[in-house]
Amino acid sequence: MTQTMRTKRRELLKRGAALAVAAPYVITARSQETLIVNTQGGEYQELVEKVVIQPFEKKFGVKVIHDATGTASQDYAKIRAARGAPGFDVAGLLTPPEVMLGVKEGLLEKLTEREVPNLRHLWDKTWQVIPAGSGAPHTLQYAALVYNKDKLDRPRSWADYWEPQKKYGDKVKGHVINYNPANLLSVYALIHAAQLGKGGVENMEPAWQRLKAQKPYVGVVVTGSAEAVPHFENGQVWISPYWSARSGYYIDRGLPFEMIIPAEGVIGLLDVACVPVGAKNKKLAYEFLNWRLDPAVQRAWALAYFSSPTRPGVELPAKFAASQIVTQEQIAKTQFPDSETIGARRKDWTLKWQEIMA
Amino acid sequence: MTRTPWLLIAAPMALLLVFFVVPNVLLLSTSFLKSEAQQLTSELTLENYAFLFTKPIYLWAFARTFIVGASVGLLTVLLGFPLAYFLVRTRSPWKGVLIALCLAPLLASVVVRTYGWYIILNRFGVANDVLLALGITSERIAFMPSTGAIIIGLAHALLPYTVLTIMGSLNGINPNLEQAAMSLGASRTRTFLHVVLPLSVPGIAGGFILAFSIAISAYATPAILGGPATQVMATAIYGFMTQLLDWSIGAALAVVLIVSSLLLLYAASRLGARQAAL
Repeated sequence: MTQTMRTKRRELLKRGAALAVAAPYVITARSQETLIVNTQGGEYQELVEKVVIQPFEKKFGVKVIHDATGTASQDYAKIRAARGAPGFDVAGLLTPPEVMLGVKEGLLEKLTEREVPNLRHLWDKTWQVIPAGSGAPHTLQYAALVYNKDKLDRPRSWADYWEPQKKYGDKVKGHVINYNPANLLSVYALIHAAQLGKGGVENMEPAWQRLKAQKPYVGVVVTGSAEAVPHFENGQVWISPYWSARSGYYIDRGLPFEMIIPAEGVIGLLDVACVPVGAKNKKLAYEFLNWRLDPAVQRAWALAYFSSPTRPGVELPAKFAASQIVTQEQIAKTQFPDSETIGARRKDWTLKWQEIMA
Repeated sequence: MTRTPWLLIAAPMALLLVFFVVPNVLLLSTSFLKSEAQQLTSELTLENYAFLFTKPIYLWAFARTFIVGASVGLLTVLLGFPLAYFLVRTRSPWKGVLIALCLAPLLASVVVRTYGWYIILNRFGVANDVLLALGITSERIAFMPSTGAIIIGLAHALLPYTVLTIMGSLNGINPNLEQAAMSLGASRTRTFLHVVLPLSVPGIAGGFILAFSIAISAYATPAILGGPATQVMATAIYGFMTQLLDWSIGAALAVVLIVSSLLLLYAASRLGARQAAL
């Protein structure tokens, strides 16, 4: 064996050893450049990728894998089943009941302004809706009332949805939609029904009376909000409670519907992004949450998704802002029912709903 | 040498143990845990089963599941047997094409096929349009959501499985037996009833059991054609597990479904085996 060969072999061994030692770090460094974000499909997927994810990738020079599957409760079921390591770093679209549960079960990371500085700019009321630091609420919307303006006169009250025959007569038969309480939209609509009869979260009896009265006029029953859209489009459904953001989106695209805020007011919904405790790339996940609360991103997202920002001071066109919750006074007026009570009673409400609708 | 068979089955047995037995034991144990405000506790209870067996809505979901399973099994056998018999006995040069056509629906997703029925059966669908146009009905009928719609959708989706199973059995019958019966004076009907039908019982039972077991555990078709107000066990389990996040009752429902379907399948296979032996 010559000296040159021996040197080469020694060099090769050295480099090999160095590579073996460095390999885990190289792989970690690469994996840190990838963030897995879970939200939902449908129109939301395209919008969030264009308005939020792609600009984030560009700014931070990272790759985001977008997992656009599941609803808020399904995503939380994944987090629970995987004991906090569901395979995504950001649960991008949870609602307050799942956030409350996640905090109680210790499956969501506690956030502070150190990790997500923009948390300090949120509406003060935010932490009355969800526990402080449990997530980053990035979208504010509400359960509005939508109707087909080619078929019906403008409704004014939640009673026009719950007792449609009184305002519209028999022509509305088969054209009312109702939602399973597994969907928060249904829970909010039922709370409005209870409030019409002087009840509320604590006394839902008036809601069940209204549900029984409405049943003969219901033509479509679904669980997910997205499932309702084809029924709006094919003219089968004429009146429905619906999320303000989605309503705005579809109306803007030519759906012959109009969205109204009934005289009794509306219940607000915060869409919250959280970090599961077993997330692999927490640092980048926090950056993503902070990015979602950035004023420019909040503005772009509000305009794209027809929703309201979750922080004050985001400039929006006056016409657009007219249908949004943008002032301190408006946010104070918006109802946010106790999500813990909703979580605790949802099973009984669903059972009652099923007994009536079966 | 004697170790070889054990080695061969060790891997699949380990796989079954890890991915079937262990999850089912976990499911069983969860069904006896109490849930409070959507959270599992460590308190043992029978309340979950008491809840299910005292609420008419879940007793109905349970009954509906087995009504759907039995109806789909029966319907696919009744529709599938003549088709399978024809496909096995035909001497048409198009036999291969006909078999392929019969199995073609399997190429489309069950969701797509179910939405086809949705378009036909909904209140503003094709079926109502036709009935109104022909003057058979004067107002639109709600064909769905209903148990009937679930049965129709599942029978359509599962027919190819039953046809294939019955074809396998019919292919195994020696045609000389039919010729022998007829040469001894039996009519075509008598030959069919006394020779072909008894010999095809294992295929019929197999087809029924296959359609039944897939139907009772089906989720997509009942979810689309039954909706949230016409529940079967699978949709109820899904609701408790992923929407209401009440895993105790979801697990109890799953245990009830697994145990009752295993008992029924065992009874059906015993019956099929006895008929075949006769």
